[in-house]
Amino acid sequence: MLRFFVTFIVLQVALFAAELTPWAQQYFVVPWTDALATISAWLLTLFDPNVAASGKVLRSTVNGFAVSIEAGCNGIEATIALVAAICAFPALWRDRLVGLGAGIAAVQGLNLVRVISLFYLGQWSMKAFDWAHLYVWQALIMLDVLVVWLVWVRMLPRADVAGGGRSGPAAGSPAPASA
Amino acid sequence: MTGGSGVTGRSQSSLAGLLIRVFAWLPVTFAIWYVTAPILLWPAAFLAELIGRVTWADIIRGVEQARAELTFATTLKAGSAGAQGGEIVVGVDLLLYSFGLPLYAALVLAAKEPGWPRRLFAGYAVLMPFVAWGALADFLKSIAITMGPQIASQTGFVAWQREAIAFSYQFGALILPTVVPLVAWVVTHRALLERLRSRPGAA
Repeated sequence: MLRFFVTFIVLQVALFAAELTPWAQQYFVVPWTDALATISAWLLTLFDPNVAASGKVLRSTVNGFAVSIEAGCNGIEATIALVAAICAFPALWRDRLVGLGAGIAAVQGLNLVRVISLFYLGQWSMKAFDWAHLYVWQALIMLDVLVVWLVWVRMLPRADVAGGGRSGPAAGSPAPASA
Repeated sequence: MTGGSGVTGRSQSSLAGLLIRVFAWLPVTFAIWYVTAPILLWPAAFLAELIGRVTWADIIRGVEQARAELTFATTLKAGSAGAQGGEIVVGVDLLLYSFGLPLYAALVLAAKEPGWPRRLFAGYAVLMPFVAWGALADFLKSIAITMGPQIASQTGFVAWQREAIAFSYQFGALILPTVVPLVAWVVTHRALLERLRSRPGAA
């Protein structure tokens, strides 16, 4: 348990620090955020033709309302938390990779819902937008990370979790007995 | 992930039930958090003031809490060097760094574990220093970076300190408010997690 948390915290800090470097911003964060805006706009235009994306900005061509996807709204921090939690937990790398693939898709999928919902919420009420943007969606995205991690941990083969994994520490189960 | 077929129906419904109860509790806990924030966040405000006034005594003249906003009165002067400007006052919204509280409370209440009030209080106590961290880092970021070189030059912070402040602010705003409540919940609900993970034939 202790080993899991120490590894989780170290990975969390290291990955977050890496995300903030100019290199990561230029080659990963900015393109990722732009892609998020483009995908959001593409999804929206399936049922609303009055939406356009420019860089990280999503804009209504009818009333000019726009949202800019900034740090904290691109799902990268939530993804970092998930990556740290999955990599810190004792498991085979094969299982970790499956968890990372499915988990990142789940987190980013919900993040698309967040961006799209905020885009329409802001056109309806800025007060509701602020509440959802600053508090509610932040909590929901992290709740998504927790649920994805719980589902992944529960689906791990028992021997994997109990210390039989080739790449996992011997006593990393979150059970009190092994803490 | 090859063992997914071994998941029991009971544990599936347990996780689904937990999630449903979390969603039922979230509106309640968010409402309570918002309404009671001035009282609920007082320990974080106190901690931020204590640490701030001890560590940056030459910069912070006073700290006041009004509802969920913390106002730092500083000795820093507005305007160009040599000119007599007013003193800089920085406001910080504590809600921005404490929205993990209602999430943690909803998770604890949804889990329905014995001794939940103790778990609720333990998480609250753990979260307060991190709310104070967010508030202080926000204040320092404002005077050392956001308000421009005229203000920053009066703080005496050198380049590496400004880098550290920027990192602390980002970490305190983007990671800690959401990750700490989840970590606190996992730590205080290990037995529940073990039950959620249990399978037929397993201990």
